Amino acid sequence: MGRYVARRLLQAIPVFFGATFIVFAMVYLIPGDPIRALNGERPISESAQAVLRDRYNLDDPLVVQYAKYVGGLVTGDFGETFRGQPVWDIIKEKFPVTAKLALAAFIFEGVLGLLAGILAGLRRGSFMDNLVLVSTTFIVAIPVFVLGFVAQLVLGVQVGWFPIAGIQEGWYSYILPAMVLGSLSLVYIARLTRTSLVENLRSDYIRTAEAKGLPRRRVVGRHALRNSLIPVVTFLGVDLGTLMAGAIITEGIFNIPGVGREVFLAVGSQEYAVVVGIVTAGILIFILMNLVVDLFYAVLDPRIRYE
Amino acid sequence: MSDQRPAGGADTLEPDDEEAARQEDLLLHAASTQPAAGALSAATAAEGGVSEYQASLWGDAWRQLRRKPLFLIAAGLLVLFVAIALAPGVFAQVCNSCAEFANQDPRSPANFADLSRSVETPSAQHWFGFDIQGRDYFTRVLYGTRVSLIIGFLVVGVDVVIALILGCIAGFYGRVFDSIIGRGADIWFALPTTLAGLVFLSVLDNRGLFQVSAVLIFLGWPTLMRLMRSSVLAGKEADYVQAARALGASDWRILRVHILPNGIAPVIVYATISVGIIVSAEAALSFLGVGLQLPSISWGLMIADSQGRLLSSPHLLLFPGAFLSVFVLCFIVLGDQLRDALDPRLR
Amino acid sequence: MRKARTALADIEFGPSQHLLEVRELAVEFNTDYGNVHAVNGINYTLDAGETLAILGESGSGKTVSALAIMGLIDRPGRIAEGQILYKGIDLLTLPTAERRSVRGAEIAMIFQDALSALNPVFSVGDQIAEMFVVHRGMSKKEGMRKALELMDRVRIPSAKERLHDYPHQFSGGMRQRVMIAIGISLDPDILIADEPSTALDVTVQAQIMELLKSLQEETQMGLILITHDLGVVAEVGDKVCVMYAGKIVEKASVSDVYESPAHPYTERLMNSIPRVNQKGGRLDPIKGSPPSLMNIPHGCPFHPRCPRARIPDPCRSEVPPLREVVTNRLSACHFAEELLAEEGVEVFAT
Repeated sequence: MGRYVARRLLQAIPVFFGATFIVFAMVYLIPGDPIRALNGERPISESAQAVLRDRYNLDDPLVVQYAKYVGGLVTGDFGETFRGQPVWDIIKEKFPVTAKLALAAFIFEGVLGLLAGILAGLRRGSFMDNLVLVSTTFIVAIPVFVLGFVAQLVLGVQVGWFPIAGIQEGWYSYILPAMVLGSLSLVYIARLTRTSLVENLRSDYIRTAEAKGLPRRRVVGRHALRNSLIPVVTFLGVDLGTLMAGAIITEGIFNIPGVGREVFLAVGSQEYAVVVGIVTAGILIFILMNLVVDLFYAVLDPRIRYE
Repeated sequence: MSDQRPAGGADTLEPDDEEAARQEDLLLHAASTQPAAGALSAATAAEGGVSEYQASLWGDAWRQLRRKPLFLIAAGLLVLFVAIALAPGVFAQVCNSCAEFANQDPRSPANFADLSRSVETPSAQHWFGFDIQGRDYFTRVLYGTRVSLIIGFLVVGVDVVIALILGCIAGFYGRVFDSIIGRGADIWFALPTTLAGLVFLSVLDNRGLFQVSAVLIFLGWPTLMRLMRSSVLAGKEADYVQAARALGASDWRILRVHILPNGIAPVIVYATISVGIIVSAEAALSFLGVGLQLPSISWGLMIADSQGRLLSSPHLLLFPGAFLSVFVLCFIVLGDQLRDALDPRLR
Repeated sequence: MRKARTALADIEFGPSQHLLEVRELAVEFNTDYGNVHAVNGINYTLDAGETLAILGESGSGKTVSALAIMGLIDRPGRIAEGQILYKGIDLLTLPTAERRSVRGAEIAMIFQDALSALNPVFSVGDQIAEMFVVHRGMSKKEGMRKALELMDRVRIPSAKERLHDYPHQFSGGMRQRVMIAIGISLDPDILIADEPSTALDVTVQAQIMELLKSLQEETQMGLILITHDLGVVAEVGDKVCVMYAGKIVEKASVSDVYESPAHPYTERLMNSIPRVNQKGGRLDPIKGSPPSLMNIPHGCPFHPRCPRARIPDPCRSEVPPLREVVTNRLSACHFAEELLAEEGVEVFAT
């Protein structure tokens, strides 16, 4: 088990550096001179520009910039925007909103997805099963932003149940965006649970459990579900990581001031420290969640523990 | 980032091989829409009896698919889409007055505009109404099919080739190759799709078809590669492969004749579904403003433009949105049907 | 709270009644591909302390008949006809709850390939203890104690340390012992073993069969052994039913059948085994394949492959009944007497 953990940790490191480096390099290639953009049309003296460039390491070669950046990361320094605001502050401010949205979406997709998947899997071929399959197919086909707009139109404007933009105190204003955000994953979870359950119900050990004279409730609830939920839990874990990393589109549609929207704005205004900062944080969270899921997976499935 | 994810996100960083195969298999299975026709629950039923014809995976699959109405409908839709993409002008004639209007500029019918007719709602003469510039919307939506199809097939096609090559190398030769390719896949996989797409595309000044396709290709290959790799790994262990090796078959022959014909099935299934996902992703990127640029005609751009006038002119969103959804749905259903037909367990 | 054993456990039955009696059992499966006639009217009996071997190839219906006894036939399968009398009571007429309480506690079944037959995420101790927790209302701790006893009884070494291990951590033979432990845990009257040794090496096979035999001697339980392995039947069986295409084609004691088979199918089976003292020569398999159970041949189901068949009469036109041709020996062949005569066995006068 220890070896398993160590191996996963070691594998995560190059992935982190590789991914962040790619992002860093890409941003480095963004055309235009950010210093000039910062100051608009006012001319800036060469010496002032030089000072700014030095401050933001703009003249260093890519690799060196990257190295300095990573060095800063370790101390929690995500750099500064060109107006002098620490990126870390921005992240700290916007992240809770994203986290709340992510959590709401996670609960929505998890509960509904599992329920639908279990019901469909237990009654395979039934009306319920077909209903789940057909409805999920449709949800998947409609692109998220279309879904988002339609949701805004119908549920927000016409029926007036939910606010269509912005965030207020409490959880109510998060509900509609959370539903839109979680819709795609909801489909995967429902389908995955269903398939996993159906497959497991066909296995030999279920036949043994029945031969042991166990009541149906126990056969399904204990034996089948325990095995079936392993891949689903894995998926849920990874998805939470992805959700936490930010959801640009949903935040854009519903005008939610989270990190996703922040990145979008930053790309537009060439504040690449913000872009890199948020993306890096996102990658970090994603990798961490993957690690957690891997470990959890070993807990769930004893076969993995002893390799 | 979570808004547009490639299916297959259940994989953790470097999954145990067998588990990876199982997980990916399960996810593919999860795409199945049809409950299997009559499960043969007793071993006795399937055994005994001599088959009258040569059974092969693809032959059997085709035979089964031919008879499924859902498959035929989706396939028919696909043919229709391709036809529209090849000759949008021809299909535009279906709505006479639309075509008449647009053909006032025969070289670029989809761009002919009459500002005075801006955002007119749909009517009997103009089925889809007009957009903000005053262009006939029906014509524009039809023309948008071309771009979507091209991007979809191009990106998925290249990704399949990459996945084939790298997946075979990683799966077949293992060890060092597998580690390198695997790490590479992990790195690209760790990049959140929409976000990375956003960043990469904002770097580019000129965002034409090829640029957008290239970015999507880079973001999509890891999942397909992993699928191929799992297939190759599983196929490698098969007894008949060992036998072939003992008879002196070359690596290339083993791959080509023994492993690939069956092993490529899950890749093809996922690739089919991917076409829909990629087109959706392109639309999403256009929506974010980093997709194709004008004067390209894409459903995503149309939807993006419709944002400001959702309440007043919902038709601007609905028509391209509907076309996009049906397009994606068509490929998902095709992929589902293929999956069911190719699954030996559902026999 | 300890649960009482089921009412059926305490039924005393007379010496003229059998522990288990299967009468005219027929099982079919209505699939989309057609109607599969898995079991077509079979009869057999089992007494305490007896070992009945059900011998047949894959697709002969042997496992399905056992599943029918256990009540494990699910859609699209159904029991078309027949009775299954356990201590005189027809199990098929019992309500579901009672049927379930009999299952595992009084009639138990174990399967081949214990790796897939055991749940991979629970420890072996847990899976054995479950029998006590569910059927006897014991606590998990008490159940585990019982599980330990059982693991010792089936001779799993270092049972105490291995109680919390998982199935994949055991070798094939040990896993099968765990399966057996589960099977005998509640002292069932009948144990059905479906190919218990097929997935194992020959030496381990012998150990497992020997374990089963000694357990049976201890408890005097009835043992139904389902197998296609002639060697296993010879070692352990008292009497044997040979099945083909869902029917019993021969029924007699093991020694009788092995010395002088009364049905061409059995005869050909015996001939197909290579023997230690045979020199060279080719193997002698039965030509052809078993029939599809959706399309059982007319008349005698074996006639397409039978070297003695006389077509069309009577082998294709008449289904040979299972009849007694010698004392306590039944055969379903029109020419059983001829066959036996060739082997020098005295038959009933016809």
